[in-house]
Amino acid sequence: MGSRVPTTLRIAALSAVLALLSNLALLGFIHLRTHDDALGVLRERATEEARALTGVYGSGGRKALDKTIADTLGTGDPQLLVALVDAEGRPLSGNIAAPIPRIARTRTDFAITRLRRADQPAPVEVGIVVRPLRHGLSLVSARSFGERLAFQRLLERSLLLALFLSLFFGVICGVITARYVGSRVRAIADVVDEVGEGDLARRAPIGRAGDAFDELSKRINHMLDRIGVLMGELRLLTDSLAHDLRSPVGRLRARIERALTTPDEAQRDQMLGGVLAEADALMRILTTVLEIGRTEAQASRRQFAWIDPAELVAELAEMYEPLAEEKGVAIVVEAAAPLFPLMGHRQLLAQAISNLLDNALNYGAAGGQMILFAGQDEDMLRLGVADRGPGIAEADRAEARRRFGRLDSSRSAPGAGLGLALVDAVAHLHGGELVLGDGAPGLRATIVMPLATKRAKADARPDSLDSLPRRA
Amino acid sequence: MGRKILLVEDDGETASYVARGLAEQGHVVDRADDGREGLFLASEASFDLVILDRMLPGLDGLSVLRALRAAGVDTPVLILSALGTVDDRIEGLEGGSDDYLVKPFAFSELSARVNALLRRAEGKSASIDTRLAVGDLEVDLLGRTVRRAGRAIELKPREYSLLEYFARNAGRVVTRTMLLEHVWNYHFDPGTNVVDVHVSRLRRKIEDGFEQPILHTVRGAGYRLAAE
Repeated sequence: MGSRVPTTLRIAALSAVLALLSNLALLGFIHLRTHDDALGVLRERATEEARALTGVYGSGGRKALDKTIADTLGTGDPQLLVALVDAEGRPLSGNIAAPIPRIARTRTDFAITRLRRADQPAPVEVGIVVRPLRHGLSLVSARSFGERLAFQRLLERSLLLALFLSLFFGVICGVITARYVGSRVRAIADVVDEVGEGDLARRAPIGRAGDAFDELSKRINHMLDRIGVLMGELRLLTDSLAHDLRSPVGRLRARIERALTTPDEAQRDQMLGGVLAEADALMRILTTVLEIGRTEAQASRRQFAWIDPAELVAELAEMYEPLAEEKGVAIVVEAAAPLFPLMGHRQLLAQAISNLLDNALNYGAAGGQMILFAGQDEDMLRLGVADRGPGIAEADRAEARRRFGRLDSSRSAPGAGLGLALVDAVAHLHGGELVLGDGAPGLRATIVMPLATKRAKADARPDSLDSLPRRA
Repeated sequence: MGRKILLVEDDGETASYVARGLAEQGHVVDRADDGREGLFLASEASFDLVILDRMLPGLDGLSVLRALRAAGVDTPVLILSALGTVDDRIEGLEGGSDDYLVKPFAFSELSARVNALLRRAEGKSASIDTRLAVGDLEVDLLGRTVRRAGRAIELKPREYSLLEYFARNAGRVVTRTMLLEHVWNYHFDPGTNVVDVHVSRLRRKIEDGFEQPILHTVRGAGYRLAAE
């Protein structure tokens, strides 16, 4: 908050200085284009005339001077003013009307003043040279400014005045600009403050002009919208986590209570075994939630290594074969050899496929067969499981992959609805996605991942710096 | 068979629970409740096993572990930690620990792992076995063949690996997660009874047609291969 006022002040000063500088340049330009040395010429001539007349006085005395003055005036030079002045400033001869200004009584090399010619009604601006003579007399020799010089003088004075005006207006403009910018910024800053204090519904004002401030407001509002959505999702997740943990915790509590009230020791021991199993299941849910979070944060890329997909699939088929056989399901491995190796996370991929196999065994066992497949087309690798069970209706597929998402048809079966969410997260970790398709009949769940060549490009993006090799 | 175990754990409740349990099994347990003290004790005194928490005051468990290994101390180390994702575990194992157990844990699981580690350390110093015998069951490690009461038993490769692991830990409890980690090299919990089905297949092969059961189920913990 504290820096806002000085910032406005800085904007005002900057604006004033800029206005001043541009006006200065403009006025300077006008001055250069209109100014010439007319004044210099005038000064030279006045000085020359004074020298000549002083010379006349020196050689011929007052009489010769009076005559020369009269002769000179007789030529009819309209710009010439000349006079012999006594100690009190009264003109003794020449064409300058009284009163003579004080400046004309002392020696002056050159000055600008106003004098009236005896034959003219008003004083005019002149360049004056004054030379003292003997007996308290002074010689005044002046030349009036021509039209051009007078105009030049007027222009120069106007330019100077304009300079002062521009400084004044520059400061005013600066203050207005600063106030305007300040108020626009403050309007946005106030909204940001209010959002910061917890009112997430506030939005920055957007005017009709569509200027930079409106653009800024728009972006800020967009960001606030996005934050709102993310917070909503987070809240939903937290709510459903709390909700879905209620039932296992409730079961746990009920079992403990029953065990406590059972007098028979052997029976109680057995019940406590059930309590342990329930607690383990709860732990498993929490671990899986953490695992999904961590996987989605892409922190696991450091563990990436080259994997042979066919080998991974064969291993898991071997692992699940006895269990499947018990449930009367045959596992068929379809691995199109040869497969390119995959740069991936062996543990998480194995866990993902194991989740798909578990799902197929739990919900699709009725089909009697499931296919564990690994194949590739172009630069995509496809790993997955297809069963011959009832499948998932297209409308339900989004719900199935959501965290804690459970379909009504599966509510009675054990599980927390985290399986497919983890598979989805693992697919994202590998730059791919989980595709739930129709196996006609049954569910065909496929993890589609780009092969290394394509991901090498994706890794060059700055948002996946995590995956770059680190060398300390 | 009491052994010296160092327990580095800052949570007093967990520490006394673990120490009491291990002492009941005849082990001598020393305790340290921060990382620096743990590192000092583990590098000064000679222990048969170190149980190490990861989140410790002073110096975290992984740093203690790396310092120990860098100093050439090769005492078996079991990490006991609440950090339980796959990556946490792999990080711990790659940091030089011999085993990794996630909190909260069942004491039976900890005890089984401690015993397996102590047994393995013992095996290191002894001559390399080429055959293992449990009662009338013989496992030929070189030929990868199994005989019981002189009769050859045909096993699939995975069943053989399972049996070899059981035989190397004969008489001790082996848990499902230990089997997953050592026989399959998977550090996640499939949540279903995949392991149990494999074990019961193996059991059928080594018990059917013989008088004595040899692969026992330990309720709430796992399995034990023993002639009783």
